[in-house]
Amino acid sequence: MAGTVLYDRASRLRVREDEAHRLAEHLATASNVILQRSPEERSIVVQRLSSKYFTVRWSLAPPLAPPMSADLFEMREQIIAWEPSLANHGLQLYLREPGRHSVVMGNFRLADGSWLTFKAPQLVDEHKFRIGWIAMMLGVAIALGLIALLMIRWTLRPLRRLSAAAARIGHGEQESIPEMGGDEVRGLIRAFNEMQARIHSLIEDRTEALAAVGHDLRTPLSRIQLRSDEIDDPDLRKAIAGDIREMGGMVSSLLAYLGGDNDPEQPQRLDIAVMAETLVDEVIDAGHAGLYEGPMHLDVTLRPIGFKRALRNIVENAAKYGENVLVTLTGPSSDKWIDLTVEDDGPGIAPEHLSDVLRPFVRLDPARSRDTKGLGLGLAIAARAIEREGGEIMLANRPKGGLRVHIRLPIRDEAPTQQ
Amino acid sequence: MSAPNILIVEDDPALRTLAMRTLQQDGFAVRPASSAPEMWNALEEAPVDVVILDVMLPGTSGLDLCRKLRQQSDVPIIFVSAKGTEVDRVIGLELGADDYLAKPFDARELTARIRAVLRRGRMDRQHDGSGRRGAKFDGWTINFPRREVTSPTGATVDLTGAEFDLLASFVDNPQRVIARERLIEMSRTRLGESSDRSIDVLVSRLRRKLGTSDGKVPIVTVRGIGYMFSAEVERI
Repeated sequence: MAGTVLYDRASRLRVREDEAHRLAEHLATASNVILQRSPEERSIVVQRLSSKYFTVRWSLAPPLAPPMSADLFEMREQIIAWEPSLANHGLQLYLREPGRHSVVMGNFRLADGSWLTFKAPQLVDEHKFRIGWIAMMLGVAIALGLIALLMIRWTLRPLRRLSAAAARIGHGEQESIPEMGGDEVRGLIRAFNEMQARIHSLIEDRTEALAAVGHDLRTPLSRIQLRSDEIDDPDLRKAIAGDIREMGGMVSSLLAYLGGDNDPEQPQRLDIAVMAETLVDEVIDAGHAGLYEGPMHLDVTLRPIGFKRALRNIVENAAKYGENVLVTLTGPSSDKWIDLTVEDDGPGIAPEHLSDVLRPFVRLDPARSRDTKGLGLGLAIAARAIEREGGEIMLANRPKGGLRVHIRLPIRDEAPTQQ
Repeated sequence: MSAPNILIVEDDPALRTLAMRTLQQDGFAVRPASSAPEMWNALEEAPVDVVILDVMLPGTSGLDLCRKLRQQSDVPIIFVSAKGTEVDRVIGLELGADDYLAKPFDARELTARIRAVLRRGRMDRQHDGSGRRGAKFDGWTINFPRREVTSPTGATVDLTGAEFDLLASFVDNPQRVIARERLIEMSRTRLGESSDRSIDVLVSRLRRKLGTSDGKVPIVTVRGIGYMFSAEVERI
């Protein structure tokens, strides 16, 4: 801003200098030419010497003129500086109509005692000059602003990647961010990558430790199982076998839950309609009423073992809490989604617990009493497997009673694998 | 027939002893091995009819062991494992194990699986060696070692163990009428997998899963006798 003002004033002074230079030239030329002519010719000559930017008149007697404007003292000095021959000729300058379109007028005494009166409208229209000047300044300001914006964005780009990566920590593969940007930003990225590595390492260690415990439990469980086979009392034997099965189930579900993100399973093309039918058959074989409604065949691409386990957990839950289980499959819709619902006619879930029930280790019976077996991981495992396929799972109570689990899966277009 | 010879390869001593005792009570001749070297020794010393192999042996990967064993012999192998994830199960079967049993198992299960594997082994050797990897019919593909069935659209179709065995029986006897009783007997090789489902239900489920949109199914009911598999089978 200050620079602008200083520049403005400096250039204005320079314009004055240019004007002075020009005036000086004109005056010098005019006086030389006029002096060489006879007084009769002079009136005509002055017309030829005049132009839009400099008019001159000759008179014998000194013209009437107002006192010189203080403003123009400097200009007079400049004119004389340019043309020293103009000194001592009583050069007077004054402004006619000072203001926007000011006109510089002046008197000048020739060597022979006659006078020249001249008029020089200011060459530069200050007003026009100012507007053009402001436009240019504005343009420069905008350009500078844009450049600054681009620079800021370029500097912040690695930071944006950083925050996106921070949101993903712990949820899957570790991705180091390449170091880029200024020194401080590089330092930050390096620290972030190291922290990410530490966190992943912590998670892996914990997971491995828990998984090892799970595996290790199975051998003593096997021993107890085989030993219990020698118990004579059939009721006792059955009861112990039941307990062992329950413990084995807990270990399995824990290992399945921990397996999670490092699952090496690859998506495959499979028939999800037949998979759903098979699970309904299992329900029927277990003595409940089950029904499948949907197409005979429907091909999708997903991880078979992970997804089947998810669906089986949900269907088994339905069979556990209700007498009738209904599995419906529809799809694909126009925006390429498949809908799979599992409904039961059991008691449903209290609305305030509907979102809790998908979290791991949550079991709805607060007293964790006899009837709730397992660690409460079944639905958490299912939800995770479904999310891994890019799908969604939603729970709701049916208006006519019972729970409705709704799974949505995106269709992935993949060419069939050759056998 | 002499008692079948079982070799148990298990590093936990108590579990090994308990399993041995259980199997001996069921009429098997059992020898123990606690590590891979002992297993190789035992295999050289005397004939073995079934190997029960714990996947997690110290120092060796049970899967590697299985692969090496398969390279040298056809002996039926049953994996026993604390790992028990289904991915491992599929890998184990892929490597040539005949069955997979997860810990904790009970004695009855173990015995049943051993008997099933022995029976299957006999059946397999009744057919000639070729064509046992897979078969094709009507655009469908069967992969026997992996126990997988693929539809004409290239999608894997989920069959239960009993359904797969039933399909295998059909595919082994194409265009021949099979009596119901024979089918029941053939399907018993998979004891322990809710096989008290009647054959008719199994057939109807298999039909539903193999059905195409135009209603063509290659399983035909022969009233009063049994069923027939009407499609042409190509062995691969």
